[in-house]
Amino acid sequence: MAAVKQLCKSLVQPLLAVIIGLLTGALVIAAVGESIIGTYQEMWKGAFGSFYFLTSTLARATPIMLIGLGLSLAFRAGVFNLGAEGQMVTGAISATLVALYLPAPGFVKMVAALVTGVLAGGLWSLFAGYLEARFRIQLLISSLLLNYVAVLFAGYLVSEPFQDKTGSAAMAQTPMLEKSVWLPKLFAGMSVHAGFLFALAAALLIFFVIRYTPFGYEVKMLGQNPFFSRYGGVNRVRVMLTGMFFSGGLAGLAGTVEVLGSHYRYVEGALTLPNFAWTGLMATLLANSHPIGVVFTSLLLAALQTGAMGVERNTDVPLELASVIQAVLILFISAKFSYDWWKNRNNKRRESHGAV
Amino acid sequence: MENRLEMRGMTKRYGDFTANDNVSFTLKEGEVHAIVGENGAGKTTLMRMLYGMEQPTAGEIAVNGKPVVFRGPEDAIRHGIGMVHQHFMLFPDFTVAENIVIGYEPQRKGLFQRKEAASAVRSLSERYRIPINENAKVSSCSVGEQQRVEILKVLYQGADIIVLDEPTAVLTPLEVKELLQTIRHLAESGKSVILITHKLQEVMEVADRVTVLRGGRVTGTVSRSETNADDLARMMVGRELQQLSDRVRLEGKPLLRVQGLNVREKQTLVDDVTFSVHHGEIVGIAGVSGNGQSELLEALTGLRAVSEGKVYLGEKDVTGQSVAAIREAGLAHIPEDRYLWGTAKRESVEENALMGYQRKPEYMRRGVVLRSKFRRVVEEWVERFAIKTGSLHLKEQAGNLSGGNLQKLIVARELGQNTPLLIAAEPTRGVDIGAMEYIHQALLEKRNNGDGILLVSSELTEILALSDRILVMYKGRIAGELTRSEATEEKISVLMAGGSVYGSSQAAM
Repeated sequence: MAAVKQLCKSLVQPLLAVIIGLLTGALVIAAVGESIIGTYQEMWKGAFGSFYFLTSTLARATPIMLIGLGLSLAFRAGVFNLGAEGQMVTGAISATLVALYLPAPGFVKMVAALVTGVLAGGLWSLFAGYLEARFRIQLLISSLLLNYVAVLFAGYLVSEPFQDKTGSAAMAQTPMLEKSVWLPKLFAGMSVHAGFLFALAAALLIFFVIRYTPFGYEVKMLGQNPFFSRYGGVNRVRVMLTGMFFSGGLAGLAGTVEVLGSHYRYVEGALTLPNFAWTGLMATLLANSHPIGVVFTSLLLAALQTGAMGVERNTDVPLELASVIQAVLILFISAKFSYDWWKNRNNKRRESHGAV
Repeated sequence: MENRLEMRGMTKRYGDFTANDNVSFTLKEGEVHAIVGENGAGKTTLMRMLYGMEQPTAGEIAVNGKPVVFRGPEDAIRHGIGMVHQHFMLFPDFTVAENIVIGYEPQRKGLFQRKEAASAVRSLSERYRIPINENAKVSSCSVGEQQRVEILKVLYQGADIIVLDEPTAVLTPLEVKELLQTIRHLAESGKSVILITHKLQEVMEVADRVTVLRGGRVTGTVSRSETNADDLARMMVGRELQQLSDRVRLEGKPLLRVQGLNVREKQTLVDDVTFSVHHGEIVGIAGVSGNGQSELLEALTGLRAVSEGKVYLGEKDVTGQSVAAIREAGLAHIPEDRYLWGTAKRESVEENALMGYQRKPEYMRRGVVLRSKFRRVVEEWVERFAIKTGSLHLKEQAGNLSGGNLQKLIVARELGQNTPLLIAAEPTRGVDIGAMEYIHQALLEKRNNGDGILLVSSELTEILALSDRILVMYKGRIAGELTRSEATEEKISVLMAGGSVYGSSQAAM
């Protein structure tokens, strides 16, 4: 009973934030002069209206979820990794090159590409962790700045040495991968691919690790009180570096499954323009770094985005509506405002009436 | 004599919880009236109502015979009530005089008159014989001086009733003596003082009357001449105090050996410290806090780098090893600050109990922590130490436990490690008498089982009650060593203040 109560309590705040977010969105729609109900109907249809739209939402949620899960692990440990974008791109470009050039049969190549993606993202992330452990360079800053290095370097690789020269227009992208390394789609003709299953598996795995293993315990306690965990014999550097590696590894995997599962080549901007990394960060914040929560918040944010595309197709309300709602969501979640405020208000009221 | 302050039938309820139940209290002119009670007895609530920080559910307050209602501290100050808080509220970058006049600055044409302020403070300090350097910056003042600044501040604001909340907790024995004199002097010059404390000796030294609170109710108001410290303690706890069990005489082998230990960080924090702790021995380290005790413990437990010297635990050299390695070698540690080092407030009781056990083979199978097995152990601790965990039991947030219960949890956790050496730093700071008895008894039992304990405490009574040998630290050095039989509060106080004890067995170090 207590556990159920606890769960409800943790859900109240995000739900309240969602409601306030949607109300703010309503203001925006009203300002544009469109019907509020109609617009939200279009949004619902765009996200879940048909099997096709539903699976597009799942496809969109896949990289967001993987990145969000990785970040939730880092945030739990109190490690503020802001480098998911760079880690995703590093993973993706490395995996692409392996998938293109490794002389091996298709399935082996696919597995090798996935492993490479995880390793490359993880090592890139570990580098930021190392800089902090060794030189006390703030992780927040180094991980953020390393994004530019990774994204621009990947951009160089696909516009110069590894550019696809076959097409008539010289686009900044690699050649197409051969079919044998493509990740299978979950449903014929739909965009959601096997990466979605990886994300779900990763969520369960992280949930299990945090809940039941000594490492998970140490991650959690390090995030809660670094002094206490040091006192208890937790090796901060080791936990931090391990956390960074897996956090970056999952971001790398996110980039890799996007390449192997939907683009089939590394296209400059294809991972960064949709803002997967930052949406993943929001999903983590929204879920308060709970891995199972991240599954739902990534779906929510992906649905907002695919839904907003639907809105733009069918009404005059611009795509940015989704960004407004997202921003409001984050604002309310991070301010820890809504629920605490509500609770205090109720308490006060009870007190002033003297009813016990 | 007329009552300067009367509080009648004060009651304060928070929901179902009654913090003060029909508490009545009077204060005469020129009287020192002590309020004693355990944590949670309602002392703080009563004072918060007096100072206008809480509104009473029922009851009335009269100052000089006139009924008053305080809506905030400003009202209380206007009626001549001044509060010296346990935690000082001073601006470190301002001078003493500026801190005293703040809020009521002498002004001319809207400009602050610095010289006038200084001279006003000067004359106030002379009148009440509270020595102070009015031009010094507060950041350069000792804790005792800062307290005097706080007292002068309420005098400057015109207080006739001065409330002192646990004023001696942070002072050296010498400063305590001076403060008690100041209190007496204030009373003689017509001020009334309310002294909130749990140190009964001080009460017996300075108070005219004592009101004892227990569980939100008054258990009695007695004048000092009719009572003694033991009676007061019984009234506070509501039962006879336990006697500590006898100490078995043990001649153990050395367990912890510290040789020439130095900790430096810009300046020398621990200076050439050498000592040992034997099996079956409690070694107490006394000293005013901030004389290197914390740094010494951090160096011993692996939390801080050792600059020079050696630490042996049993036969093993543990100098500069990691915390985990030193714990593994046989050390458990009750930390000085239970909120900073000892717990994660937002995690559950169970999670807090698990710290230090998370990688023990007996609670692990195939890389998974055996929660249910460990939970049974925690249940045993909770039962043995009578830890009140609250409605969610082991799932309760640690931060919701009272200080005493949280401390008992930490003590249980570290004793549960069953290591030959236990470091206990301020093991009973801020806990009530009941919890203190439990903890002292548990430490003594551990000693009688042949384990060694290094006890660090700023409470001399605790050091004297438990230690077989006493080391006194002053400015990072060991200023002296006393055996249990030769140690007295006076000798220790002298060493704590940097003096030396002649005619003792103190080795020339």
